[in-house]
Amino acid sequence: MSHRLDKFSAFRQGLVIFVYLAVLTALEYFVAVTFKAVSILVVVAVIKVALVMYYYMHIYKLNEESDAEPHSYSFKTGTNRLGLWLFLLSDSFVFAGLLTARVNLLGLTRPHLNQILGLAVTAVLLSSSFFMNRGETAMVHGDKKGFIRNTIITFVLGLGFLLGVVAVEWPLAAEEGLTAGSGAAGAVFYMMTGMHAFHVFTGLILLLVVLYKTRKDKYSAEKHWGVEAAAVYWHFVDLVWIIFYPALYLIGTAL
Amino acid sequence: MRHFIIVGILVIVMAILTYVGLDVAGIATQMHPIAASLQSVSIDWLWNREIIAISFLFALIIVPMTYSLIVFRRRKGETGDGEHFEGNTTLEITWTVLPLFAVLAFAYMGAYSLGEINRVDPDALVIKVKAQQFTWTFEYPEYEIVSKELHLPVDQQVVLKMESGDVIHSFWVPEFRVKQDVVPGRVTEYRITPTLVGDYKVRCAELCGASHYSMENLVIVNTQADYDAWIAEQRAIAAASQTPEGRGQLLTVKNGCIGCHSVDGSKLVGPSWQGIDGSTRDFADGTSAIADDAYIIESIRNPQAREVTGFSPSSMPPYTLTDEEIANIIAYIKTLK
Amino acid sequence: MKNVSPVVRGWLFFAIGFIVAYSIGIGLVFVASGSLVYSHLVTWILASFAGATAYSWGASGFSQLTKGLVWLGLGALAGFALGLVVELVVQGSLNWVAPIASLFALLFGFTGFFLGVAGNNAVSKGLISQISGTLIGAIFVTVIRVLMGLEWKGPFIFTEPAWVLGAFFGVLFFLAGNGSVSDWFKWARGIDTPEHHEEHYSGWEKYLNVSLDHKVIGVQYTITALLLISIGGLFALVFRTELAASQLQFLTTDMKLFGQNGPQLYNTFMSLHGMIMIVSILLGVAGIMNYVVPLLLGAQDMAFPRLNAFSFWLAVPAAVLLLMSLILGGFDTGWTGYPPLSAKAPLGIQMFFLGVFTAGWSSILGALNIIATVIRMRSKGMIAMRMPIFVWAAVATSIISLTATQLIGLSFQLVMFQRLFGMGFFDPAKGGNPVLFQHLFWFYSHPAVYVFVLPGLGVISELLPVFARKPLFGYRWVAMSSLGIALVGFVVWAHHMFTSGMNEYLRLPFMYSTLLVAIPTGVKFFSWVATLWKGKIVFPTPMLFVLGAIVVFLLGGLTGPPNATVSVDLHLHDTYFIVGHFHDTIFGGFVFPFFAALYYWFPKATGRRMNETLGKIHFWLMTPSFFILTFGMMRIGLLGMRRRIADYDPGLGFDATHLVLTIAGYLIGLSVLIFIYNFFNSIKNGDKAEGNVWNSRSPEWQVPSPMPMHNYDQPFEVVGEPYDYGLPGSQYVEFAAPAKSKHN
Repeated sequence: MSHRLDKFSAFRQGLVIFVYLAVLTALEYFVAVTFKAVSILVVVAVIKVALVMYYYMHIYKLNEESDAEPHSYSFKTGTNRLGLWLFLLSDSFVFAGLLTARVNLLGLTRPHLNQILGLAVTAVLLSSSFFMNRGETAMVHGDKKGFIRNTIITFVLGLGFLLGVVAVEWPLAAEEGLTAGSGAAGAVFYMMTGMHAFHVFTGLILLLVVLYKTRKDKYSAEKHWGVEAAAVYWHFVDLVWIIFYPALYLIGTAL
Repeated sequence: MRHFIIVGILVIVMAILTYVGLDVAGIATQMHPIAASLQSVSIDWLWNREIIAISFLFALIIVPMTYSLIVFRRRKGETGDGEHFEGNTTLEITWTVLPLFAVLAFAYMGAYSLGEINRVDPDALVIKVKAQQFTWTFEYPEYEIVSKELHLPVDQQVVLKMESGDVIHSFWVPEFRVKQDVVPGRVTEYRITPTLVGDYKVRCAELCGASHYSMENLVIVNTQADYDAWIAEQRAIAAASQTPEGRGQLLTVKNGCIGCHSVDGSKLVGPSWQGIDGSTRDFADGTSAIADDAYIIESIRNPQAREVTGFSPSSMPPYTLTDEEIANIIAYIKTLK
Repeated sequence: MKNVSPVVRGWLFFAIGFIVAYSIGIGLVFVASGSLVYSHLVTWILASFAGATAYSWGASGFSQLTKGLVWLGLGALAGFALGLVVELVVQGSLNWVAPIASLFALLFGFTGFFLGVAGNNAVSKGLISQISGTLIGAIFVTVIRVLMGLEWKGPFIFTEPAWVLGAFFGVLFFLAGNGSVSDWFKWARGIDTPEHHEEHYSGWEKYLNVSLDHKVIGVQYTITALLLISIGGLFALVFRTELAASQLQFLTTDMKLFGQNGPQLYNTFMSLHGMIMIVSILLGVAGIMNYVVPLLLGAQDMAFPRLNAFSFWLAVPAAVLLLMSLILGGFDTGWTGYPPLSAKAPLGIQMFFLGVFTAGWSSILGALNIIATVIRMRSKGMIAMRMPIFVWAAVATSIISLTATQLIGLSFQLVMFQRLFGMGFFDPAKGGNPVLFQHLFWFYSHPAVYVFVLPGLGVISELLPVFARKPLFGYRWVAMSSLGIALVGFVVWAHHMFTSGMNEYLRLPFMYSTLLVAIPTGVKFFSWVATLWKGKIVFPTPMLFVLGAIVVFLLGGLTGPPNATVSVDLHLHDTYFIVGHFHDTIFGGFVFPFFAALYYWFPKATGRRMNETLGKIHFWLMTPSFFILTFGMMRIGLLGMRRRIADYDPGLGFDATHLVLTIAGYLIGLSVLIFIYNFFNSIKNGDKAEGNVWNSRSPEWQVPSPMPMHNYDQPFEVVGEPYDYGLPGSQYVEFAAPAKSKHN
C-alpha cells in the first residue's frame, strides 16, 4: 500500500482536521444558542460529515487500484472495503429513517435536554475519532505500540460516551419527565440515542477484537484490514452523531 | 415492409376489438358500479381515456409479438439463427419520447380530474362521521341527530368530517367512487355531491380488524323532500328520548356499542343485550355470575376482566363514560327484555 | 408383495395409513370435545400426513424420506404432548387447543424431520438451537419479571416481552448453533481459516449443511423458496375456499384454532400469504442471482462467501418465525401491518415483525454481496456494456434491497417498540402520527416490487435472445431501463397513500413520478418485441414461460397507470382491482420468469433436464387459470369488492365469480404440484443433458453440466458481444489455454 504522507504529516493532518471539527462544533453550539438558524446548522453538519468521510474514513480509497490477482491481500482488501462501505450505506438508511421520523413528529421543536451534557458527550466522541485516526495512522506506519495506546484511549472515550448517554443522560431526562412512553419527543429521543448507542457498543466490541488481534501479532503495516475496518466503522458512528447531535440538541425550540 | 403493413393493420383492428370487448363487458365508458355522484363524472371520464390507451398499447405489444411467434418461428427441419441486428437508436428514442408525451397527457388529465373532484361548494352540508371497529356513526350537528344510517339530500354537496376512535378505517361508497381514510388523531374530509336517489352502502375499505368485512352501514340518498321528512322524524325521536332510557339508547348508538352487541338476541362480535339483565353469565374459566349493575359497569370499564364463554373480550376496548352515562345505558339495557 | 410395483404398494400403504390415522383422529377429537365430528381439520391433517408417510414407506421402503416423515410425526406428537403438559402446569387446566401445544408440535416436528432425514445437520442443529434460544430468552425475561414483581404469565404462557426476546435469541442461537458464523468467531479470536473450503458432504446432504459454494447456496435458496411458495399457496387456498361463497362457511365466528376465531384466522392466513410469498420471492430471486451471477461473470464464487452463507441461513429462522406468528395468536393487519391496528394486534404480530426483520437482513446482505461481486469479480474483458443483461437486472435489484430494506425493518421495529415500551411513534394520543408509518413502510415496500420483478425481467431479456436466435434488441437501453426503473422506484412510494390523508399537495408529484415508471418499462416491452421480430423462434418450456411472463406482465403493467392517476385510484384503492393488478405484475415479473429460469438452468445444476411434457402441462394449466383469476379479481374489484375481507355482501352478486376464482386458484395449485413433482423427479430420472442444451452463447453453457466444483477450470476472457446470435464466427467468451494452472 502506498502512503501519501509520512507519519508525521499524517498525524498533523489528523490534528488539523480535529481542530476544524472542534471549531465547527463550537460554532454549531453558538449558532444554536444565539440566532437559531437551521440552515447554518445543516450546512455545518454537512461540512463536518464531509471532513470525516474524506480525512478520517478515507473514502477515496474506494477508487484505489488494487492488485489484479484475485487471491492477493490487496485485492481482497479492496473488495472488503467496498463491502464495508456498502454496509455503511445500507446502515445509514436506518438513521435517515429515524431522522425522518424526528422531523415528521417534532418539526421545529426538540426535547428538553441537558445542553452541557450533550456538548460534553459530543466532544468526547469527537476526540475518540481523533485518537482512532492516530491509532490507524500509527498502524499504517508499523507503530504497533502507538496503535495500541491510541486505540485504548479511543476505547475509553467511546465507553465514556456510551455511559454518558445511557447511564447519565437517560436517567437525567427520565427524571425531568422525558420517558420512552411520555410522548413523541421521548420516543424519538430514546430511539435515536438508543440506536446510536447500540452502534457505539458494537464499535467498542470491534475495537476490543482488533486490540486483541494486534496483541496476537495478526496485523502489520501492509496487512491490517481489520484495523482499517474497525476505524472506518468507528468514524461512521461519529459521523452519525454529527447529524444526530444538532437534530436532538440544537435545532428548533425546546419543548 | 410487407410485415410492417400487416402488423400495422392488425394492431388497429386489435385495439378496436379490445376496446369494444371491454365496452361490452361494461367497463370501458364508465367504471362500475353505477355512478351516483358528481365527482364520479370526471373519474369515469379519465378512466375511459385510460381504457382507450390501454387497448391501444395492449394491441401494440401483443400483435407484433404474436405475429412474430407465428411468422418467425423456426419451421421443421430449419437450422440456423435469426437475422442479425442489434438495435436501432432512432427507434429506441421514438419509443422513449412518444410514451413521454402520453405520460404528460395523462399527468395533465389526472391533475384536471383531481381538481374537478376537489371542487369546494362553500354551502356544503356538514356531517360528522365517527368510525370505529366495526361500525359507522353519523352526526348531523345542525339538528343534533345521531344515526347509524347516512341520509343525504340529492344534488347538494356534503362534506363529511371524519374521525376514528381506534384504528384506521376508510370511507368508501363504491357508487360515489371517492374513498378517504379515517385516521385516528385527525379529522379527514370527504366531499361528495350525490346525484342519484337510491340506497347504497358505505363499506370500510381499510383493514381494521377481525370483523372488518362486516363494517358496512346504509347510505341513503333522498330527494330534498324525503330528506327533510327524515330529519324531522329523527328530531322528533331525539326529542322524545330525553328519558334516561332514551339517553342511554342514544349513547349506545353514539359510542358504537350496537355495532357489536345486538338488541334482538342475534349473535354479533359481542353478546346480545336482549334479556341480559339479571341473567346468569358463564365464563371461560368455568365460573359464572349474575349480570347485575356492577357486572355491567365492570364490563364497560374493563371488558377484559372476565371472558364470557364463546366471546373474545379482546375485541372490546375499555370505555371511559361518566357514572351518569353508564346509569343511562343500564336503564336502556333493562328495557331489552 | 414383491411383485407389486412400488407405486401400487405405496398407494396401498397410503390407504391403510390414512384410514388408521383418520380413525385415531376421530377418536382424539371425541375425547377432546365429547362429540363425534367426522370432518375435523385435525383429523384430516393427521390422516393425510400418516397416508403420505405410509406411501413413502410402501413405495421406497424405509428410506431417509420415510424416516424423516416418521420423525416429523413423532416430533410433532411429542411436542404437542409437552405443550399440553406445560399448559396444564402453568394455567392449571387442560386445553386441547392451546396454541402452545401446536407451537411445540410445529417446532419439534420440523426438527424431527431434519433429524430423521440426515441426522445431525445444519438445519436440525439450527432448529434445536433456535428452540433452546427461544426458551432461554423467554425464561430470562420471565425470571426478571418475577424478581421485579411484574406479571409474568401471558395468554401464551409467557408475556409479550418474554416472547420477543426469546424469538430474537432464537434467531441468534440458530446462527450460532448451525455453524454459519463459526469462521468469523475464529477470526475474532485470531485463528485463521483455510481459504478454500472443500465440501465436507457429498450428494444432497451438502444442501442441508453450511456450504460456502455459491451454487450450493443458490440451490438452498431456491428449494427454501419453493417450500415457502407452497406454504403461502396453501394459505391462499384456505382463504380462497372460504371466499368461494358468501357467508362464513368454515372460518366461522364460533370456531377456534390457535387462539383465533374464524375471521381472525382468515386475516392471519391472508396476511401471512402476503408476507410468506414476499419472503419466498426474495429467496427465489436470491437463489437465481446466487447461482447465476458468478457463473455469468466468470467468477469462482461470490465476493464474500461466508456472508453469502450467513445471508441464506438468516432466512431459515425468519421463515420459522413467520410460521410461529400463525400459531401465537396470529395477527389481523395484513402484511402491511399499519398501526394503530398492529399496535393492538395479538402476539403473532411481534413474531411477524421479527421474522420480516430477519428476512430483511438476509436480503440486505445478499444484495451487498451481489453488488460487490459484480464490481470486483468480473472476468477479463467484461466491461459494463458487455455484461450479460441479467447481471444488470441483479445490480438494479440489489441497489434497492441494499438500501430501502432498512426502512421496512425500521418501521416494524418502531411499532414493536411502541408495543413493548409504550413509545408513541404512531400513537396519536401521544403525539404520534400513524401516517408516518406508511411513509417509512412504503419507502421500502414499493421499491420492493421492483426487487421482485427486475430480476424476472432480466431473466426474460436473458432468455429471449437464446430462443429467438437473435441479438437482444437495444442492449444498452434494456440495461439502462432496469436502472431507470430502480431509481424512479425510489420516489413513487406515496402512490400507495392517495387516500391516506397525507398532505394534499403530495398527491400530484407522486402521480407524475409514478406515471414516469411507464417509460423505462415500455422500453423493455418494445425491445422484447423487436428481439422476437425476424427471429427463428423455438418453443421449449422455458421459452413458453418467458412468453407467458411478457403477456402477464403486460397486463400488470397496463392496469398500473389507472392506479397512478389519483382520482381513478380513489375508486380502485384497496379493492380487488388492485389485488388482480399486482398479482399480474408479480406473476409476470417473478413467478413466470422464475419457472422459466428453473427450467432453463436446471440442466446446468443437475446434468439432467426436466420433463418437457410435464413442463408444457404445467404451463398450459397455469396460464389460462391465472388469466381467469386476475381478470375475475379486477372485475369484481371495479364492482365494489374490497380487499382483505373474510366475507362479502351476498347482495353484490359476486358468488358465481368467486366460485370460478376459487376453482382457478386450485388449478394453479395443481399445476405447481405438477412442477414440484417434475422438479424432484427429474433430479434422479430426467434425461441426461450435459452439453449446451439450449445452444446458448453464455459462458456457463460452454462447459459441461453439472457445473464443476470451482466453476470454470480455465478463466475466460470476453471477446465479443453477449447476444450476437446469427453473426457468423462471433464469440462471446474465449477460454484460456488449459495448460494454465488454476491459481498460480
